[in-house]
Amino acid sequence: MNELIKMKDITKVYPLGETEVHALRGVDIVIKKGEFISIIGPSGSGKSTLMHIIGCLDTATSGSYFLRGKDVNKMDENQLADIRKEFIGFVFQDFYLLPDVPAWYNVSLPMIYNRIAPKERKEKAINILESVGLKDRADHLPNQLSGGERQRIAIARALANEPEIIIADEPTGNLDSVRGEEILKILSDLHKKGKTIIIVSHEKYVAERGKRKIYLKDGRIEGKG
Amino acid sequence: MFRGFLIEILRSAIESIKANKLRSMLTTLGIIIGVMTVIGVMSIISGLKKNVATSFSQLGANVLYVSKYPWFSGHKTREEWNEIRKRDNIEMKEVQALKEYGTSFKYVSPLIDRNLNIERGEKEAPEVGVSGTSEDFARIINQNVNLGRFLSKDDIKYKRHVCILGQDVVNTLFPEENPVGNKLKIQGRQFTVIGILEERGEMMGHSMDNVVVIPYTTMAEFTGTRRSSINIAVYAENGEEAREEIRWILRGVRNVKPEEEDDFSINSSEAMINQFNQLTKTIFLISIAIAAISLVVGGIGIMNIMLVSVSERTREIGVRKAIGAKSSEILGQFLMESVVICLVGGFLGIFLGASLTKLISIMSNGNLPFYIPIWSIFLGVGFCCSIGVFFGYYPARKASKLSPVEALRYE
Repeated sequence: MNELIKMKDITKVYPLGETEVHALRGVDIVIKKGEFISIIGPSGSGKSTLMHIIGCLDTATSGSYFLRGKDVNKMDENQLADIRKEFIGFVFQDFYLLPDVPAWYNVSLPMIYNRIAPKERKEKAINILESVGLKDRADHLPNQLSGGERQRIAIARALANEPEIIIADEPTGNLDSVRGEEILKILSDLHKKGKTIIIVSHEKYVAERGKRKIYLKDGRIEGKG
Repeated sequence: MFRGFLIEILRSAIESIKANKLRSMLTTLGIIIGVMTVIGVMSIISGLKKNVATSFSQLGANVLYVSKYPWFSGHKTREEWNEIRKRDNIEMKEVQALKEYGTSFKYVSPLIDRNLNIERGEKEAPEVGVSGTSEDFARIINQNVNLGRFLSKDDIKYKRHVCILGQDVVNTLFPEENPVGNKLKIQGRQFTVIGILEERGEMMGHSMDNVVVIPYTTMAEFTGTRRSSINIAVYAENGEEAREEIRWILRGVRNVKPEEEDDFSINSSEAMINQFNQLTKTIFLISIAIAAISLVVGGIGIMNIMLVSVSERTREIGVRKAIGAKSSEILGQFLMESVVICLVGGFLGIFLGASLTKLISIMSNGNLPFYIPIWSIFLGVGFCCSIGVFFGYYPARKASKLSPVEALRYE
């Protein structure tokens, strides 16, 4: 089963007061296992909405979406949560770490919902932190760490349940170019290890890292490359 | 691994409460006060009950007192009281009848009480409870004589001027000598001391030892020619059976017509305890109502703070959902948090309530024993859990229903 993601004619309409916002106006995408995809577009192009739908955080207004051959539109809320838990890891622009708990605990968070025993959770979290070069920061709180380190912890968290897909939404948006480069390298390395990576960005140099690019504008795919 | 998950949400609840210590403490104040009231009142009432039960049992557990008036009036109207006042006096003929016809009880003794002054030379004991009674009375109320002897048949028969003293009277009039064989004056009449009663202690803060016992026949000298109503003490192993038999004998002797009600009262310490229980029940219900109000107020406080917490942590909820948390798991997390806050308040309340009871017990010089019923603690904890679930449910549900995308976007 090579086709991991198969979307056809996806639309998304938000009500906004009296009017409606058409965030997506019919998007077709096929993503194969192990691909490194960039979704590029200016703000307001619908790329975040598309990312949310791919990541099962949101559902499309119309169109079909098959993930690993399963019809996502037919899933209920709990099944979507299971998909997010098992197959998808998110990396956000603002990191979204819990501020009051140490780094290792942030990394172990997804394992809680996978019912991994506490001891195993901590061990595994520290192993993953080691793989992103932050083993010595395991007991630090997020506000004791630099932006680059925080994003690496966020990536470690995304890896906690060994998902097939990593979705990164502007992962370098809050970082300088050196730190940004570090993050992109980690994502590239993950791709080499067989993960499917989807980066959403409006920055050219970030998008360039993708092996395949999807340009989005006004809710439609403008071009591929 | 569901247990692991429970531990995890418990841990996260404690973390979040620790992060907002002051806020959590203020929030839980209503719960603390509510639980403190429950524990305090229950402990005090339980202590009182124990105390009262032991006190009243000194009146004699198996003793019935026949009197013109009931010990407890209950809710009687003025008319009903007038009826009671118009009753015929109880006299020796009733005592005779009970002695003659009674089968279900062993001892019957008349009992005439007066508060009289007692003097010995310069020393005076004012307002002593003097009881005129017969030789059987000691057995009826299980009263032992420490020194000397109790009344005899002949003391009664020959109307002897003899008396048996309670310990308080001994302390006042004979501080340094053996009173037995000595003489004293009761209301100006000379009596010889023949014995000393064993100490009985206090009942409801009232000394049971400020008493003197004399023959009832001699007592008549003080009550004068005006005939007044006497009491009758009856010792009965089976109170209910004896009560019925006494009723029928007295109704016969006093010519009570079948359609009329009893024109006498049969009192007992048991009835007194029942009356007391009735009273404490009322106090109990009132304090439960107060506690319930403060618990509800506390619960609303919890709900309020949980709503704030949910709104503050919208982003966190979004993240948790994005990494795979189900709505039910978010619901569980926030419910747990509100239950833990309530339980912290509950345990503080139990602690404060217990301390309060201890303090009252110390201040009462041990008249109120320090006693915390275990069930009141369970009740307190149970209350807190229910309040946590009840008032935490709405905010927790609100958290669980957040859409992940909107929660993540929340600033």
